[in-house]
Amino acid sequence: MFYKLTPTTGQPLYLQLMQQVRHAAETGALRDGDQLPGIRTLAEELVVSPNTVAKAYCELEHEGLLELRQGLGAFVCVKRRTRSLENDVNLARRRIRDLIEQLREDGLLDAEIRRAFEAELLYAAEAVRKR
Amino acid sequence: MLWYRFWLETRARFLTSLATVTIFCGVFVYHAEGLLRPQWKSGFNRLLFINQQFLVIMWILACVLLGMGGIVREKAVGTSSLTLSLPVRRATVLGVRVGVGLAEAIVLGVVPWLTVFVISAWAGMPISITQVGSYIVLLTGGGLVYFAMAVLVSSLVVGEYTAPAVAFGVVLLSVLVFDNWIPRFNAWRLVTGDFSIDRKTFLLGKHLPWPGILASLAVAALMVLASMLVVERREF
Amino acid sequence: MTNEAVILTQGLTKSYGNREAVRALNLSVGRNRITAFLGRNGAGKSTTIKVLLGMVRATAGGGTVLGKQITDKKANLDTRRRVAYVAEDKPLYGYMTVEQTISFARSFYSDWRTNVERQLLRDYELPTRQKIKQLSKGMRTKLALLLAFARRPELLILDEPSDGLDPVGIENLLQTLVAQSADGVTVFFSSHQIAEVERVADHVCILEKGGLVVDAPLDELRQSYRRIDLVFPFPAPEREFRISGVERIRTSGHQMSVLASRNAEALVERAHCLNAVSVEVAPVGLREIFLETVKEN
Repeated sequence: MFYKLTPTTGQPLYLQLMQQVRHAAETGALRDGDQLPGIRTLAEELVVSPNTVAKAYCELEHEGLLELRQGLGAFVCVKRRTRSLENDVNLARRRIRDLIEQLREDGLLDAEIRRAFEAELLYAAEAVRKR
Repeated sequence: MLWYRFWLETRARFLTSLATVTIFCGVFVYHAEGLLRPQWKSGFNRLLFINQQFLVIMWILACVLLGMGGIVREKAVGTSSLTLSLPVRRATVLGVRVGVGLAEAIVLGVVPWLTVFVISAWAGMPISITQVGSYIVLLTGGGLVYFAMAVLVSSLVVGEYTAPAVAFGVVLLSVLVFDNWIPRFNAWRLVTGDFSIDRKTFLLGKHLPWPGILASLAVAALMVLASMLVVERREF
Repeated sequence: MTNEAVILTQGLTKSYGNREAVRALNLSVGRNRITAFLGRNGAGKSTTIKVLLGMVRATAGGGTVLGKQITDKKANLDTRRRVAYVAEDKPLYGYMTVEQTISFARSFYSDWRTNVERQLLRDYELPTRQKIKQLSKGMRTKLALLLAFARRPELLILDEPSDGLDPVGIENLLQTLVAQSADGVTVFFSSHQIAEVERVADHVCILEKGGLVVDAPLDELRQSYRRIDLVFPFPAPEREFRISGVERIRTSGHQMSVLASRNAEALVERAHCLNAVSVEVAPVGLREIFLETVKEN
């Protein structure tokens, strides 16, 4: 697996890593029982603090996507729900595509649409966090 | 390993001084011996006395150079934060530096005189080993106070070149002041043998001026102690 | 990860004559974390580090390093045994060779790891027989880093570790930092390379004129700092936005740009209430945070 963390987006690196592992599990790049690299290995590879990797692994374990076995490492455990998640994601993409199509017809430029999306996403994220 | 470090640091200075002093003494004595051969006896003893005069000047110059260095100088050169970060007390660092300098200063006194001794023996005009020994004791025993003075100056004065300049100034000043006001306590004359030479035979007396030597060593020790206190308290 | 402080200072002050280099500093560096210490030249970073290591005496206040009082000379000696420190100017004795320097340093520490020393010597491609004074700046930095990394200290303090390194060297350095951290070493480093800090640091402290202006986990900074660009149908109502968490406001006619260290959502809410025509929220990078907080003071 390849992970790519971007330090300059407003999102903590551990969250980015969590999303990428989740995404990999959803797309099937990671399968049930697959082993993830050790905290140290991955931290050195990504050149991020080991605490970042540890936190991501720990949170993913809480979510049930990872199983941390003492001294052995982190293993993926994909349950059936990811299948439906995959469908959800596909559905969402179709809806977004429709929305974008509509906005374009309204005369908005792609750059404007992108900015609006980003602003709303950030706004939503903040509102959720507040709650 | 601090020993090793200070050896590396002073090696060039020490070896240059040693070579200069030894070659000078060797050449001086060997050359003069040839001139003096017909009427040697007291003339030759006088020669040794003169040799000591020259040697003292060079030896003290070398000692002042060897006494330079230390954390204060390192501040000027920029390596003080390495030395200070080592898990060693500042006083220990200074102590080892003084130890290395001391050993070097003694070698600087012993080797030239031994060379003179060997050259004389080889040229067929052997000199008494006690005379040589006495000169060495006077030089190192009485003269280490100048080395200590340089160490003290190096702990007080910052600057790669200011410190040696000040040290030389202090040595010169002390010699002049003592000679004019209290000549009996002039360490310079103690070291050169002025106080213990017999003006007729030009042989050093059987009894060395031990009180003077001990007093001089005590002052030297006090100066080193003072330097340690200064270095422990100083800001870097 | 425990929250125990490895470095802790209270009201630490250091003056040189009338100039206060460090001013009532309350610093706390957590164990097993990578903490970055940022600040402009002359902000007091190096002085702070020197006071912590007992190389410079504090004028007022005090603190502990690894639980030992920094003013206690005996304890300080022990601290220096447990801390590896690379000073800003990468001091090394010019008359020693690389080899001699390494064996000199090795003799002082019981936590020296010869295998790591050999590995780093190979990685850094240092000419062992060359005199220090003939080394380039980058080589000197590498050697100074080797002397610290070959040990296994409890705390690693690095003052401008990337000075003189090329991009490959910097990448190697960061990897080593990460590896050290994974070994359980607490890392405290100062740097001007914000991009590198942004990748590896867990916690960021920004020093300005001897005092801390930012002291927060990097994740928190990432999540809470926002730049909000607004356009109004009327001249921008700057006063309406002067609430807590707003660090800086710039207006130009109907346009307004707000930098918020928190409360971004309240600001967006307010903008919507005031009928803003356009509301754009963007994350703020560490570089911008640094520039804004340092400029302001």
